[in-house]
Amino acid sequence: MSAVFRRSPVQLYLPIAEIPVNIFVIFGMGGAVGFLSGLFGIGGGFLLTPLLIFSGIPPAVSVATVTTQVVASSASAVVTYWRRKAIDLKLASVLLAGGISGSLLGVILFDVLQAIGQLDVVISLSYVTFLGTIGGLMLVESVRAMRRRRSGEPPRARKPGQHNWVHGLPLKVRFRRSKLYVSVIPVVGLGAAIGFLGTVLGIGGGFMMVPALIYLLRVPTSIVIGTSLFQILFTMAAATIFHAMGTKTVDIVLAMTLMVGGVIGAQFGARMGQNLRGDQLRLLLALLVLGVGLRFAVDLLLVPEDLYSIAIQKGAGL
Amino acid sequence: MIRAAAIVAMTLFFGTLEGFAKSDESLVTELSSQTVSIQSNFTGTEIVIFGQAQEIQYRPDTDLDYDLVIVVEGPPQDITTRRKGRLLGVWVNREAETFSNVPSFYAVASTADISEIAGRALLDEHAIGLNHINLAVSGESNVSLSDRDDFRRAFVRLRQDMGLYSERETSITFLTETMFRTNIPLPANIPVGDYVVKSFLFHEGDLIANTNDHLRVAKTGFEQITFELAREHSFVYGVLAVILAIFTGWLAGVIFRKD
Repeated sequence: MSAVFRRSPVQLYLPIAEIPVNIFVIFGMGGAVGFLSGLFGIGGGFLLTPLLIFSGIPPAVSVATVTTQVVASSASAVVTYWRRKAIDLKLASVLLAGGISGSLLGVILFDVLQAIGQLDVVISLSYVTFLGTIGGLMLVESVRAMRRRRSGEPPRARKPGQHNWVHGLPLKVRFRRSKLYVSVIPVVGLGAAIGFLGTVLGIGGGFMMVPALIYLLRVPTSIVIGTSLFQILFTMAAATIFHAMGTKTVDIVLAMTLMVGGVIGAQFGARMGQNLRGDQLRLLLALLVLGVGLRFAVDLLLVPEDLYSIAIQKGAGL
Repeated sequence: MIRAAAIVAMTLFFGTLEGFAKSDESLVTELSSQTVSIQSNFTGTEIVIFGQAQEIQYRPDTDLDYDLVIVVEGPPQDITTRRKGRLLGVWVNREAETFSNVPSFYAVASTADISEIAGRALLDEHAIGLNHINLAVSGESNVSLSDRDDFRRAFVRLRQDMGLYSERETSITFLTETMFRTNIPLPANIPVGDYVVKSFLFHEGDLIANTNDHLRVAKTGFEQITFELAREHSFVYGVLAVILAIFTGWLAGVIFRKD
């Protein structure tokens, strides 16, 4: 099939995926994505899941296993933000309530799609849509920022205390740590949306959560990352358990190999990231996101190499 | 490892031949091993099947009136074959056909071309050869009758690509005039379960003797514990995965602490 499956002295048999893989290739993938996540300050799930899928690991196993890997990578970062007390626990808990329900819905949908044979195409289409949109927005934003910097024009400051439609909703609750007084409806809704997408696509969703918290709810930037990470940690923990019980595709050996590679790679990435400017980083990340999205699009649009595929429904190996 | 096991099995087998030689059994067979265990370093293996067919008098360069076929069959599965079609410019799975109770693994070794060994009816009855496996379709299907054979062919081809179905003619070798052996490769992705090794002896198109041997493919050690935990106690397995992940992340956070 692909490079991962070529015979080599260091084969590792994955007990749930039921295929042997080259331990160094998987470790390297974890390391490379970890490096990028450290560099850009992202979770990296949206890069790791596609990478696993492209290398021949079944999409269901890739998605479920990356949710476990995201738990490890966000736990690592949450420790730091916890020490700095940069987490709004109340806001995170409300987000989490939404996140867990969204995740549960996600696993149910995942199961249904797998049964009718449309899981792979839904995963691909969703990746094309999300990565295309977000990559495009990031590209435009970072190019604008670079142009502004070159022309010496100061960035437009956002007006403080500006309200949007979100602030007109009922069921308001006070979040002291974030200095917010907002309705719980958008908070739960946001948590649920990210939990749902994360569970179906094998992503933490930080790259969607952080902008949403800043622009939609006006959470102070000093608290936003820690809170988002905290919520992702526990939503993905719930997603791992739901996937383990529902789809039964969490491969603990694959997850462990990715985790170890990931946490090491992240350290190097974080160090390198300090030497690059913010707008340059965002431009690179935008290109990366668009690249992955394009790859999915190409696979969907080109005539497949093989029109036929098989899936075991019942019996041995299930 | 395999070679050593094969030698041991051969010694045992030849040792017991004395007894068989005088019995009326016209066909006896033995496997190099009764179980195949899958561990973390498993990348596939092979089993060796030895046998003796008394009536055969095999001489090189002469035509043999007798034919041998050995079939290794894995536990049954229901497998859906899907075909992609274009929908709004995007390639998606459109038609599907489910084959029920098909072998999860199927390998044939023989002394001659399968089609020359016996008549179609006999081959169909015993499911000998890739063209003769019973691929029964389930009732519900959106595939037109004329396309059904395309799905059958695609199914067998995909299984062959995965190394799970194979037909290797003239892969049985003779050690003496009456004794034979063959190797059946078992790829890394073989499903676990109880396998049957069926050996058939034909004489001019008639089945004159057959034997069944049993082979067990099982995960052992860590692989077995992990697999069973994930299947039987999936909640515990999920919680364990989370604890392991949080611990790994926390440990990394502590080790690489910057401040």
